[in-house]
Amino acid sequence: MLDYKNLPQEELFGQGHVGCKGCGAAIAGRQAMKALGQRTIITIPASCMATLGGNNTRTAWKIPFYHALFECAPAVASGIRAALDIQGVKDVNVVSWAGDAGSADIGFQSLTGAAERQEHIIHVLYDNEMYMNTGGQTGSQTPLYAATSNSFLGKQVRKKNMLAIMEAHCIDYVASANIAYPEDLMNKFKKAASKQGFSYIHILAPCHRGWGIKPEETIEVARKATECGLWELYEVDQGKRTRTYEPSFIPVADYLKAQGRFRNLTAEQLADYQKAVDAYYGRGE
Amino acid sequence: MSKVLITGNEAAALGAKLARIEVLAYYPITPAFPAMERLSKYIEDGELNCRFIRVESDHSALAAVLGGTLAGARCYTLTNSQGLLLMTEVVYHVAGLRQPIVMGVVNRALSAPHSRFPEHGDVVSQAGSGWIQLFCENNQDILDNTIQAFRIAEQLRTPVMVNYEGYLQSHTLEEVSVPEQEKVDAFLPLKRQPALDLTNPKGVNTVTGPEFYPTYKYKQNEAMLEALKLVPEVAEAYNKQFGANSCGLLEAYKMEDAEHALVAMGSIVGTARRYVDEFRKQGKKIGLLKLKVWRPFPVEALRKHLQNVRFITVLDKNIVYGVGGALAADLKAAFYGTNDMVINGVILGLGGGKCGLEQLDQAVKLTESDETEKNRSAWIAL
Amino acid sequence: MALQNTPVVPSGEPGALAEIANSRVQRINRPEITDQSQIDPVVLLFCPEGAISRSESGFIISYKLCKGCGICAKESRGITMVPEYTGPAGIF
Repeated sequence: MLDYKNLPQEELFGQGHVGCKGCGAAIAGRQAMKALGQRTIITIPASCMATLGGNNTRTAWKIPFYHALFECAPAVASGIRAALDIQGVKDVNVVSWAGDAGSADIGFQSLTGAAERQEHIIHVLYDNEMYMNTGGQTGSQTPLYAATSNSFLGKQVRKKNMLAIMEAHCIDYVASANIAYPEDLMNKFKKAASKQGFSYIHILAPCHRGWGIKPEETIEVARKATECGLWELYEVDQGKRTRTYEPSFIPVADYLKAQGRFRNLTAEQLADYQKAVDAYYGRGE
Repeated sequence: MSKVLITGNEAAALGAKLARIEVLAYYPITPAFPAMERLSKYIEDGELNCRFIRVESDHSALAAVLGGTLAGARCYTLTNSQGLLLMTEVVYHVAGLRQPIVMGVVNRALSAPHSRFPEHGDVVSQAGSGWIQLFCENNQDILDNTIQAFRIAEQLRTPVMVNYEGYLQSHTLEEVSVPEQEKVDAFLPLKRQPALDLTNPKGVNTVTGPEFYPTYKYKQNEAMLEALKLVPEVAEAYNKQFGANSCGLLEAYKMEDAEHALVAMGSIVGTARRYVDEFRKQGKKIGLLKLKVWRPFPVEALRKHLQNVRFITVLDKNIVYGVGGALAADLKAAFYGTNDMVINGVILGLGGGKCGLEQLDQAVKLTESDETEKNRSAWIAL
Repeated sequence: MALQNTPVVPSGEPGALAEIANSRVQRINRPEITDQSQIDPVVLLFCPEGAISRSESGFIISYKLCKGCGICAKESRGITMVPEYTGPAGIF
């Protein structure tokens, strides 16, 4: 049970941000900063998170924050870590926080390079499953059959499995997280902060605009993603895999049909999804 | 000062080592990679206390170096041609962020067609980037300019490119006088100005609207123009500290009574010097202006030396398509409204093409003939 | 020519966005605390704005920061959404 009495009071991120009401990314940022603390330097490439973080002479961050170019946040973070290292500055979290484009697509080269070098940084992918900052186009993290702003017919190929790819780099720590499970998320950040090598955390953070849900449903829909089994919460700590939450296995339809972007899902496609989830968890065999 | 026989790449690496760089990132590219390898060897031998980031692309190389500078370290990198163009986005970004990065550019022709030979096409593409552009005549210049670049960059908070040509300079052995480490330490005191500072947090590079953006750009340009004053001061201080012979914005060679002037930058200056000596033997009053600083463009200094000259031949080892040579275009713009001397731009040496005494002779004769095209650069030695 | 007062490195002041927060423009409904004892403290971590805080006397919602998204009311008892504007309805 989370000890709310001892939750850090200070808001290192979020107050006054210019994002939409009910923004999942902002929730993820707030929860992460509660775990990471003040000795953190964060670099964020072009994304909603970078945009809502500040403009002109004001920012919503109380720690050093740098709005990086789109494709190179992990490379910049590597440089920051090298500079801190040579100045003998320790006990600082260096975080590169990117969306799905900045981590899995345009930013992938930089991410895989930094992971291969086992840089002492934490990379966070906050996942709203589309390119929201430019209006909500399809990206590699968009799930199968989801409609987006540039594809009403829906994506015809699967979501790229970033967690598996990052696990293949044999880095110190890989974890999936969900804003609807704050205690789990914060524990994972604490664990990542303690690692000496590269850590990767992938947070499911729904965007109500892109997903076609009401703002107040953000947390509820995120919860359904894990409860139906589609968004497994697990971690791979020095190669050892552990599931950190046992889902209750509500029907996948409860999660998918609650969102506007899946409104054109046919019964057959829905059945495909349920079958895939069942096969993954070894259910109904 | 001790004398050594080294290549241009080694001179650049030596300059960075003497400057005690702290964070290095590079992505191997021909013909810059020997300098990169030399630096890595200094680090692994324990001669240079520097953190090296083995990035996976040229774009990430400058991004990593930028990260290092933002966190307060002195940083350096090298690249050229294709790599320089890939990292162009970061190049402009660094200048806008006012970060004092020094970059060695081993000038090489651009693809397509694919070429690995020396030429200024790659640096010309960065003309508007906001980086101070220094050019080197020989390996001594490379070492001197690299060391001076750190002082210029850190004082003006404007990044500096030190340009030298592939193979002609990077791989050619020349005698170089090397300053002592202690004297370089005194010449380049390290004053940290991190933008990402835990004791003074800021949000760097926020989304900026039209109310503020023009101001940032104006101030960035003002800082660049300050270099016109600062570069000669730094060169003078350098010469005093090390007994060297480094030039300021430019160097005038046999220009006192010249009627015809050659204007050039880079390795071709060496050839031009010989040509001037030869041609003078024949009684012609010809001189040479060696440009060390191309950006900011030293208009006043050029006007001062060229005001009494009748013919100017501008040597361009580059082409700006549809316009002509970049240096010629800059020079003609600088002399707008002044008296009617003949300014003839010639393009030569592209992709490692011929640019020897014969070609210079052709160029000079063309300038003095009636066939000079007023508005375009002439192509020599195709 | 009027230059703005800008820092050398383009940057913004930390926490300064909260000073000019005018989240009311996005609010159609606002959360009202109906029963302090029923509030699940997890709302402290579910609010995207950091508008809910805790003091000796209980939970406090900052209406300067709250945009009225409704997550707190949905995820916890003790908080209800009420309309921001309760005057005459227009014909739009």
